[in-house]
Amino acid sequence: MNARLRAVAGFAAVAAMALLSGCSAVQKGADILASQGKISEKDRAAIVGTSQALRSTFADITDEEEYYIGRAVSALILSRYKTVDDAAFTRYLNLVGMAVVYNSDRPETYGGYHFTVLDSDEVNAMAAPGGFVFVTKGLVRRCGDEETLAAILAHEVGHVAARHGLQSIKKSRLVDAFGVIGSTAASQLNSEELTKLTGLFEGALGDVLETLVGRGYDRKYEFEADELSVKFIAQTGYNPAGLAAFLTTMERDKPSGPVAGWFKTHPSPADRLTRVRAEIAALASVPAKLDIRTARFAAELERLK
Amino acid sequence: MKKRLRLGALALAVLLVFVYLLAETITVKVKTTSVRRDPKFYAASLATIKSGTALQKLALKNGWFQVKTKDGVTGWVHSSAIDTRKFDLTALGGAQQTQASSGEVALAAKGFNKRVEDQYRVQNAAANYAGVDKMEKFTVLPAEVEEFLKRGKLGEFGGGR
Repeated sequence: MNARLRAVAGFAAVAAMALLSGCSAVQKGADILASQGKISEKDRAAIVGTSQALRSTFADITDEEEYYIGRAVSALILSRYKTVDDAAFTRYLNLVGMAVVYNSDRPETYGGYHFTVLDSDEVNAMAAPGGFVFVTKGLVRRCGDEETLAAILAHEVGHVAARHGLQSIKKSRLVDAFGVIGSTAASQLNSEELTKLTGLFEGALGDVLETLVGRGYDRKYEFEADELSVKFIAQTGYNPAGLAAFLTTMERDKPSGPVAGWFKTHPSPADRLTRVRAEIAALASVPAKLDIRTARFAAELERLK
Repeated sequence: MKKRLRLGALALAVLLVFVYLLAETITVKVKTTSVRRDPKFYAASLATIKSGTALQKLALKNGWFQVKTKDGVTGWVHSSAIDTRKFDLTALGGAQQTQASSGEVALAAKGFNKRVEDQYRVQNAAANYAGVDKMEKFTVLPAEVEEFLKRGKLGEFGGGR
């Protein structure tokens, strides 16, 4: 009984250390306890296994790591697209975006949110992890008003807030990366470990990029981003009907036959519309659309023509 | 099986005590943010704080922590900028640090970080990091967002509900 109690105390102490100091310390602590005969080899193995499980999924990626993944994904997006370098419009876009961000569930990320216009006539929007948001010129032109632009930016902010991009990273890659990071007691990786980690980093951002521009998110994440969009824009004071209006025009203009771009990476607008309408109907109060905002959007849009 | 369950429950109990004891100290997890006079982004900034800064938690209200810095500045920081899962033992004894603890530095030195980015950039010259830096440099100030909300009758300035 006494031995068992000691084992329990040892386990609890090591588990507490896991929270406090990360995996390698836990492994060391468990090794010491085992070497002194305070816990069995089986318990030692179980403790080490548990501590490794502490950092194994996308949720264990730190905000700083998310930022570096987001930077790399953005660098690849920006190597495919040119940007619209109109400082006045970029400023307007960032003001609408930040108005939504301040009223979202996750207003602060490691490097903050940044919005930019891609110089493309295709209709598309993307968000890289950590808050790098891209909208095409073609999409901005399709927005009839500020409410619609805000809703689209809010959908992208929703993807960032819910960390959807990170969820597209293959789990095996993360397990390998956390393994490299946690395996050594030294504070710096050696060059072999750095090379391995960089390879895993490249694989991870490839997973994210493929989801953003190729395959698209799982439908459930798109529906969740719509739900968050309705919530965030209503909290900001915009009329959420803007999102419904946008989806209606997209459904109308849906090409028949094989689809590409936005239509390929997003669920059918009709499916989204049904859900978005229900979410708007469920709001306690719906802010009204104001002419003053539509007017300033129209004035800014002139710059993109 | 039963023994393992009991083990787990006990470990959890001990953990909860630890968490309770350490909960008063919280750590900044974003690159940089402000301690603000009021719980809103465009309230006056009283202090600029960096990733790893330990803060004393005073209260939590509507997603904002009321905190006290080691310099004695009291104000508000949004919870999304705070890592509530990490506990800084060194800050407990009153010796609060503005730098990350050595444990955090060690972890940061080994994650996906600047060093990994630098290595990646050597191998991927086509990745447009200059474009990303330019995008990051473009920021709007909280006061500008406040003015934008006011003019558009949005947020707390909205009346059209």
